[in-house]
Amino acid sequence: MKTQLAMVIDSSSCIDCKACMVSCKVENKVPGGYWRNWVKQREPRFGKIPGAKDPAAQAEGCRTWIIQAPDFDKVKGYGDPGSMHFQPGGCMHCANPACVQACPTGATYKDEKDGTVRLNDKLCIGCGCCIPACPYGARYRHPEKKIVDKCDFCAKRRERGELPACVITCPTKARTFGNINDPESDVARLVKENKTVRVVNEETDTEPNMYYVLTTAPMNWPRKAESPTPIRWWASLAKPLVWAVVGLNALGVLVMFGKQLIIKDEETEK
Amino acid sequence: MATKTDTSISRRSFLKWSGAATAAAVAGGQAPVLHSLAYTGEKSTGSEPEYHFSACGMCLNKCGLVARVENGIVTKLDPNPKFLKSRGMLCARGNAGTSQLYDPDRLKYPLLRKGERGEGRWQRLSWDQALDLAAEKLTKIGEEYTRCGVLFTPGSDMQSQFVHWFAEVFGSYNVTTHESNCLLSRNRAYLDTFGEVPFADVLHSKYIIMAGANRFESIITPDSIDLMTAMKKGCKLVVLDPRFTKTAALAHEWFPIRPGTDMSFFLAITHVIIHEKLYDEKYAQEKLYGLDKLTEHVKKYSPEWAAKVCDIPAKDIRRIAQELAAAAPAAMIYPGRRTSDYVNSTQIRRAMAIANALLGNWDKPGGLLAARMVGTTGPELPEAPFYDDNPDDRLDHGSAHIMFDEEGSFKHTRDAIIAGKPYPVKGWFTYKINPLQSVANRRKTLEMIDKLDFMLTVDIAMSDTAWMADLVLPAPSYLERQDPAAGLQGSSACACVVTRDPVVPALFESKPVFWILRELAGRMGLEEYFSFTMEEYREQQLRKLPDSERALREDGVYYNPSKLYGIYEGKIYKTKSQKIELYNERYAEMGLDPMPVCKPLRENVPSDRFRMVVGRNAYFTHCTTQNNTLLNELMPENTLWIHPNPAKKLGIRDGGTVILSSKSGEGELKAELKKGIREDTVYMASGFGVLSEGLTNVFGKGACMAEILEDFTDELSGNMAMHETIVKVARKGAS
Repeated sequence: MKTQLAMVIDSSSCIDCKACMVSCKVENKVPGGYWRNWVKQREPRFGKIPGAKDPAAQAEGCRTWIIQAPDFDKVKGYGDPGSMHFQPGGCMHCANPACVQACPTGATYKDEKDGTVRLNDKLCIGCGCCIPACPYGARYRHPEKKIVDKCDFCAKRRERGELPACVITCPTKARTFGNINDPESDVARLVKENKTVRVVNEETDTEPNMYYVLTTAPMNWPRKAESPTPIRWWASLAKPLVWAVVGLNALGVLVMFGKQLIIKDEETEK
Repeated sequence: MATKTDTSISRRSFLKWSGAATAAAVAGGQAPVLHSLAYTGEKSTGSEPEYHFSACGMCLNKCGLVARVENGIVTKLDPNPKFLKSRGMLCARGNAGTSQLYDPDRLKYPLLRKGERGEGRWQRLSWDQALDLAAEKLTKIGEEYTRCGVLFTPGSDMQSQFVHWFAEVFGSYNVTTHESNCLLSRNRAYLDTFGEVPFADVLHSKYIIMAGANRFESIITPDSIDLMTAMKKGCKLVVLDPRFTKTAALAHEWFPIRPGTDMSFFLAITHVIIHEKLYDEKYAQEKLYGLDKLTEHVKKYSPEWAAKVCDIPAKDIRRIAQELAAAAPAAMIYPGRRTSDYVNSTQIRRAMAIANALLGNWDKPGGLLAARMVGTTGPELPEAPFYDDNPDDRLDHGSAHIMFDEEGSFKHTRDAIIAGKPYPVKGWFTYKINPLQSVANRRKTLEMIDKLDFMLTVDIAMSDTAWMADLVLPAPSYLERQDPAAGLQGSSACACVVTRDPVVPALFESKPVFWILRELAGRMGLEEYFSFTMEEYREQQLRKLPDSERALREDGVYYNPSKLYGIYEGKIYKTKSQKIELYNERYAEMGLDPMPVCKPLRENVPSDRFRMVVGRNAYFTHCTTQNNTLLNELMPENTLWIHPNPAKKLGIRDGGTVILSSKSGEGELKAELKKGIREDTVYMASGFGVLSEGLTNVFGKGACMAEILEDFTDELSGNMAMHETIVKVARKGAS
């Protein structure tokens, strides 16, 4: 089976320390004011405690709340909507990514090797069509590079055999990363052993590869993937054009790649 | 660290070390990955990255880290997966260490004040000029006012021990530290109950009551991480806090207790445990001193009585006491750290310590642990000289009932300097500490500085304290210097040793304080006391740990496999009665309450006023990291948390500017309407409203905590009491 990198998140572990966000920002040189990942939160519903309805407690003059957090021992359906929790996220590397469809140049693509949704810097023209196409707001236009930027599950780190920056740094290990199609992986095991949900917009399910363990109630926040008709029309027209323009260039790059690989192999043999 | 390729690590296999495994498994599994450096694929940079072990210096936890260096630049800090104390993590601040290193606001060379204090006019000096001047000024003050005429205030840093040593050989006993603004009252209470300050075995606990602590935001390793792990295993967490912190948010139960009344809650817990006989009688017989007196003492402190005081229903107090006792001894009242809150904060913590004693959790899994052996040794240093013209005592001697001589009390020292009594202090040496922002009543600190002839600050950036100094000397960050070894207690995780070597050379003209002090000593005829190098010092520290040098080199950390539980088996407690003291005889002899007595609050909150509480978040260390570009983005300015009901009465809207005032001072900041705070309480984060224009991200933002807080202290320990201030809040523009 093909590799599909994915993340399983246990929001009930998240303490909202934002280590994942800063770690990502440093690793990927994300400029100030922008983020590749996030921690969202469910606001609690404050109420007077059962005790406050209790005449004895009222007589004591207590004005006390209790927020009952969900029971960690067992998953109670969709969790307790009254309690606060923190939900880490980032690009969900969807199986059916709306951003890929919205991209007029093919800069955004689904990587065949590992199932990540990637961005080819050289092909991106910075048009930003993919930004509203993402239901999760996982893309932004880089203010200096003038092209779109997003999470790539720390491709460079993975090449070196390291975990993504957000995963390795997490104090409570709320984020788990791996190949969801490998039954031996931690992510596959977690999905098998726990009830999980994927956070999607009802109208545009992009089949995200980010699974949330159902210890907390999922939050309903993704927006509808926007891909205006003219863009789609233009995309169908422009894609072959752009490819033609960059074709030669890409060919050159490929040749260089090939050369490097051959050289590397020789080095390894030595 | 090895830079050899470990070809056995394939690029696919790293996925097996994904984060959901236990921390230990991650620690074991991830480690070889870091050795497989020679990735053979596409290279983006000119050279292979180098990896260096170090210990984080963004707060005082000293978490093990691996720094990645590419072309001489530190490009990333990752957790050292073998570092058990932090459970192989690095928090937001740890990740932002690169931003401290490459901060454009860093001090670059020695600066001499030219204009008035705080005016911000500086003259660049060479190191020779700066050191000659400092040596001359300190010597002059020493000659004119005795050596005790110089106050030394080192922050919590791995090189601060050299400031202590310099003060000793220079001849001043006037050394104050961070601790009198922090945890002295807790230390006092636990020393006077158990004879030792405990470490909490959060990981193995089944039931934790956390009062006056916010462990998920104020990160302490391993407690913060262990708390989540314990909760996942079924540990129950009950949080008492006037404010809905993130710890409260994740707790099973949160009670917004009336601020300052925690003692009543714990006396009532004790009342229930004693009167319902929920304690182990055999244990009590053997280990506890004064149970009969305590039984009598807490008779009147029923849950019904406490409910009226602390605003928590009696039946919940009773239930919690029963649940807590049922989980004992793997249950605890979390001892907390910053306990600088009320004028009776030692006695509040005594009430908590006594409840812990009744749970029988001392020296047991899931309870309170004694210090483990780390094994580092103090270096052999020459005997410090004696100056016979010196006064008999520290400046703040006797200003609180039972002070810690080595820590002192900053507040009482400051008062004495302002008064010029019992003797004048005219010099101040500060290192990596920021009292202008962190110590209550900023105006008094400014008044104290006015009394000085010479103030010298060594720091990384132009803190408010540096801003007021005469001479400012630039220090390197923790990633650019060689440090001594540090022994760390990691609760049930480990007892370990870390150290630091430079990851990159020091930037600009910055010099470590150790070098500065050696140079000063040389200029003042004290060179014999600083004749050692850092390597020699460290060698001496580690001389009884033969394996530590290899472990530090290969793993970045040394673990001492010392005994964890049962340290006290067959041993006496280090108290007067040699038992755990519910009743403290020494207190009785001194005329202090031998058992905590619940008294009315020093000042009640009038209906048109609020009590101000302070507390941490996960982004800022005290008053030091607010200007860090990466962290500042998480909270660009502080706000005033206020409940919507009183806000409505005052015409305050969310995001609107308010004027906050107290008897100490006032400030302007934006209001943040929060249902998660009591109606009689307001809260603000520390480190904003700065004086220093050298902190470009935070200058002109928010209000200063130290400006608003009044400077009360704990009567027993002299620790600061930061929750005693009653404030007025008004909408800006309201008459």
